[in-house]
Amino acid sequence: MVCSTIREILVQAEKQFGAEDAIRYKLKKDVIGTKSYSDLKRDSESFSRVLESLGEQGNHIAVTGMTSYPWLVTYLGTVNCGSVAVPLDVSLPAEEMCELIDRADVTVLVVDEIRKDVAAVVKDRCPKLKHLISMQKEISDGESLSFWQLLGEHQGSCEYIPQADALCTIMFTSGTTGKSKGVMLTHRNLAENATCLDMKIPPRTVILSVLPIHHAYCLSMDILKGLSLGSIICINDSLLRVAKNIKLFKPNMILMVPLMIETMAKKLEEAGPIPKKLVKKMVFGDQFHTICSGGAYLPPAMIDLYESYGITIQQGYGMTECAPVISTNVSWNIRKDSVGQLLPNCEAKTVENELWVRGSSVMMGYYNMPEETKETLVDGWLRTGDLGYVDEDGFVYLTGRRKNLIITKNGENVSPEELENKIGEHRLVKEILVRESEGVIEAEIFPDEDYMKKKRIRDVKSALQEVIDTYNQGAPAYKKIYRLKVRDTEFPKTPSKKIKRY
Amino acid sequence: MFEKLAEVICNYVEVEKENIRPESRFMEDLGFTSFDFMSMLGELEEEFDIEIEQQEVSDIRTVQEAADYLEKLTAEQ
Repeated sequence: MVCSTIREILVQAEKQFGAEDAIRYKLKKDVIGTKSYSDLKRDSESFSRVLESLGEQGNHIAVTGMTSYPWLVTYLGTVNCGSVAVPLDVSLPAEEMCELIDRADVTVLVVDEIRKDVAAVVKDRCPKLKHLISMQKEISDGESLSFWQLLGEHQGSCEYIPQADALCTIMFTSGTTGKSKGVMLTHRNLAENATCLDMKIPPRTVILSVLPIHHAYCLSMDILKGLSLGSIICINDSLLRVAKNIKLFKPNMILMVPLMIETMAKKLEEAGPIPKKLVKKMVFGDQFHTICSGGAYLPPAMIDLYESYGITIQQGYGMTECAPVISTNVSWNIRKDSVGQLLPNCEAKTVENELWVRGSSVMMGYYNMPEETKETLVDGWLRTGDLGYVDEDGFVYLTGRRKNLIITKNGENVSPEELENKIGEHRLVKEILVRESEGVIEAEIFPDEDYMKKKRIRDVKSALQEVIDTYNQGAPAYKKIYRLKVRDTEFPKTPSKKIKRY
Repeated sequence: MFEKLAEVICNYVEVEKENIRPESRFMEDLGFTSFDFMSMLGELEEEFDIEIEQQEVSDIRTVQEAADYLEKLTAEQ
């Protein structure tokens, strides 16, 4: 059933699956905790009442942390009472996180204690922020309010009915010029994206959620779609423990990015001369059958490899600006070289080889960035920045990329210009080009010879490696540079004196 | 610890044990991906019965740094 608001998804699911498990998570080693659909609805409505009591209903509420039950309650409680959720990447440096909180006009931050460093500075750095709520603190104190205490004090229902076309979530995504952009998504954008396609996934399917929750792909497909289908959503507590948590939660299905699919493939292949059925049982369990892949390019050979172990990979394609799924393969109709058929709520056309899409999942625009919005949304069409075409059966094929973004194998989008500007600040760096090379981010640098002479630098490679190491220390894992090339001549330039990228 | 670590590393990337040095970097020299690295730490977590925090390991670059970190955790046991 197609839902137009996130509240509709939750209300429908609760009606049908009330006391059954919605969320499973690790309490401690090998001990599983559970929350039912009724728990989730009740607690998220209590959180809506918390916002009302703080005088923050309708405002922008940021949430940052690993995937957890409090994260989900915060998100659902926020959007279901007409407030706007701003999910933030838990791995961002504190400075960057504060900048986004400020830019998104956030008044309440709900924060996981693993980011104590952010909690310590955010009130001083972000003048618009009025309340800080800690996900773990048992009792409120002068520093922050306790999530659980607030929830206990404001138990009750919330009957607010959100408007389908009202702003619901702002998600940040890398901009090509280096400044990240806040993608404004409505209830309809997200809810219809999650519910418009019947993928024939039966109720009570066990899903293990392993991707970062601040990404649209995880939020929409693991959480919102999972809830709409009456799935059991299991929370992976750490990327270290995917293999272990597969054994603990026994999932039927996992949403992955190509990087994970390739690493798990090595596990399957290293088993030696044992029947494939047994290998699959050892690595994924007998009950496991499906991987959904998105976020980046997946080599078709992976689909064949997994198929030989009895596991179906359904590859899809999307972007945050489209809430996020644009197309997906479905289990009964897979084309390995295609990123699948357009979702029923999406149409596409090609303009000078670039794919443009239109439909109920296309964003409202970028928050407070009218220029960038105008460049990306043209007469209701979203310019994807990807080159490709759609065939007569509605299958999408991608052939390249127009936008200057690195899409890493773990689905993160990285702006080369952002990294070039940061590293280029060092005086030893005269010219720099950042690009992807064999699956990692590479920097090619032409050093400043005058500076080398002045500072008597002999081993320029080591000196530049130090520059990169210093940059890497403060950078989130997906923005780290793992390969350095040193040039002894200037880069070739375009007529406008810019470095030629290709 | 270094010896043990070098053995486990060979299960994740195609490298001869003899070529692994304390100063070898996981990503740059040994060809690890970020998810390979996390999976390997997960395996070591099991093996040594320790608890590793994902946030704490993002700055580990070399095999020696990883060995020192694991040594510290096992000593705290």
